[in-house]
Amino acid sequence: MAALPFRGRRFVVASLLAAGFGIVLVRLVNLQVQQAAELTLRADRQHQKSVTLEGARGTIYDRNSKVLAMNMEVPSVFGVPTSLEDPHRTARNLSPILHVKATELEKKLKQEKHFVWLARKLEPEQGRRLEQLSLGGVGVVMEGRRFYPKGPLLSHVLGFAGMDDRGLEGVELRYEQYLRGEKRTVVLQRDALGRAVFPKGLNEEGASAGHSLTLTVDEVIQYIAEKELDEAVNRSNAKSGTIVVMDPRTGGVLAMAVSPRFDPNTVGSLVPDRWRNRALTDTYEPGSTMKTVIAAAALEEKVMAPESMIYGENGQMQVAKTVIHDHERLGWMTFAQMLQKSSNIGAAKVGMALGEWRVFDYLKEFGFGDKTGIDLPGETGGLLRGPRGWGKRSLASISMGQEIGVTPLQMVTAISAIANGGVLMKPYLVSEIRNAKGQLIAQTMPQARRRVISADTARTLTHILEGVVISGTGTKAAIPGYRVAGKTGTAQKVDPRTGAYSSTMLVGSFVGYVPAEDPRLAMIVMIDEPHGEGWGGVVAAPVFRRVGEQVLNYLGVTVDDPIKLAMAGIES
Amino acid sequence: MKTIAFAAITSLVLLFVWERVDIVRIGYHIERLKSQKVVLERERDELRVKLSALTAPERIARMASDKLGMVLPDKGQVVVVHVEPEIPVVPVLAERESEMKLAKNVVFRRTR
Repeated sequence: MAALPFRGRRFVVASLLAAGFGIVLVRLVNLQVQQAAELTLRADRQHQKSVTLEGARGTIYDRNSKVLAMNMEVPSVFGVPTSLEDPHRTARNLSPILHVKATELEKKLKQEKHFVWLARKLEPEQGRRLEQLSLGGVGVVMEGRRFYPKGPLLSHVLGFAGMDDRGLEGVELRYEQYLRGEKRTVVLQRDALGRAVFPKGLNEEGASAGHSLTLTVDEVIQYIAEKELDEAVNRSNAKSGTIVVMDPRTGGVLAMAVSPRFDPNTVGSLVPDRWRNRALTDTYEPGSTMKTVIAAAALEEKVMAPESMIYGENGQMQVAKTVIHDHERLGWMTFAQMLQKSSNIGAAKVGMALGEWRVFDYLKEFGFGDKTGIDLPGETGGLLRGPRGWGKRSLASISMGQEIGVTPLQMVTAISAIANGGVLMKPYLVSEIRNAKGQLIAQTMPQARRRVISADTARTLTHILEGVVISGTGTKAAIPGYRVAGKTGTAQKVDPRTGAYSSTMLVGSFVGYVPAEDPRLAMIVMIDEPHGEGWGGVVAAPVFRRVGEQVLNYLGVTVDDPIKLAMAGIES
Repeated sequence: MKTIAFAAITSLVLLFVWERVDIVRIGYHIERLKSQKVVLERERDELRVKLSALTAPERIARMASDKLGMVLPDKGQVVVVHVEPEIPVVPVLAERESEMKLAKNVVFRRTR
């Protein structure tokens, strides 16, 4: 075969090269232009990974920035049963760390599944022990868990968050929209081994944590209230008890204690009844503490003056074919003595002098029958019927605190209005909301709802209420060195078996404020169904004194009468 | 001339490749630092929870009474008095025996 001339060979080689380059060019156009969109998408799927991040739930602080509730990342353990060689041995190794029975774990690990939760939201220490074991087929992921480091302290107010980090009760539920962490999807670049290399876009930030809340509550005052309440409830073998301490000048709640308490860290095993905040969800017939409001109305309307005389009917008075009793046979007494001796007949007569509508109007003005508007869920407005629904005895009954249902919070809010000179304040719990960077988002200022009585009336009534503690039914509430104003209350409960007022099922209460001339604390103590002597002056007044003297000391409130206090020390 | 052009182009290509490699290297470094930050934040949160639990008033009161034998001050042992800041608090000399007893036990605290 004759060889091609040189030019011919060059032409062939050039043609082959051109054809080769042509093919490459065509493929290049095909990949880079025609299939560009689809291939870019495929590449992104392989290189990038979208991860949904959720910021931690916000922290809850007391008024002095002490942590009451916060989130922490803790380990959750899962198993991959399909990749396990010896489920029995794995279960035996895990059991002492997870505190779960080995048989239970083995049962889970023998399932025909690729993923199974073994234990969720463990203590950090358990996670560290698991890491040391480094078991095959068992993995650990970090999840946010809500911690309440103070245990049962303030549990009825704080409420709790569930396993999914959502608020279920109390402040946690009410402020869910603020506390919840931000959810954000972040795109990560992955290398060939699937490791994250770089977020797409350097400025991309992670999800920010939820807002933090600052409460008006002081953890020390709360502790004092809970400790004294628990002791009182245990001592009297009562069904339950409630204390609410309020700053009467602002309406800010300083403490809200309910006994029995619960630990929000271990809420799973409890019945819902246990975490009900009785201070605002339960109503009770207040009994004689209601006479304070009736007295305020009578003084304001000038129906009565402190020295007005009232006849006590020697302890018995017939009203609408029923008989009203006093606990002692009282004759003539002044209006002030009526309160100090807590005369039912006297209160009924004051109520009658005011008339149905004025009594009703003042009760409404003081906030009874309506929710106080506190920033907590589950509040009830209590029970207050209009005069058209009243029976013939209702006016007398309501004047002495029967036929009306109030919450402890309503009662302490009403007494705060007398304490601060006649202005009804809106109670509140959260004073500040700040974002994750610490910037102020919202601030609650004290909110006056309305003036209910004049400052003069409040002053006169305070003087009378001081008499209740000095020489009346509330002497056990007296705090040496301080002027205390308050009123005792003992209400009979309706026996559900008979439908009539029980002589043994009582609610003993004391509501008052201190120091009387410039109150720093307004407080209600309520003991539900105490055994033995159930009088408010016996079961509740001493608790008021014990809480009051510790809190005043803690707050550094100047004593009214240092000599008297010093002498009390010597005498004791 | 050709050599210089070739060297310049090669340098540019190497610079481009080096830049790409360095970006990936820094990316890995950033991710490592981020992981460290997460671990440290976790540790910080754990310590905050521990601190809060350890400073709970209930625990402190229990330790004060059980371990240290402390008791709440009795009636009259703490007298909070209002004094002007510049005036020093001096316990008044006791004249009677009962007042002596008081003076020993009373803790004076100032408020404004």
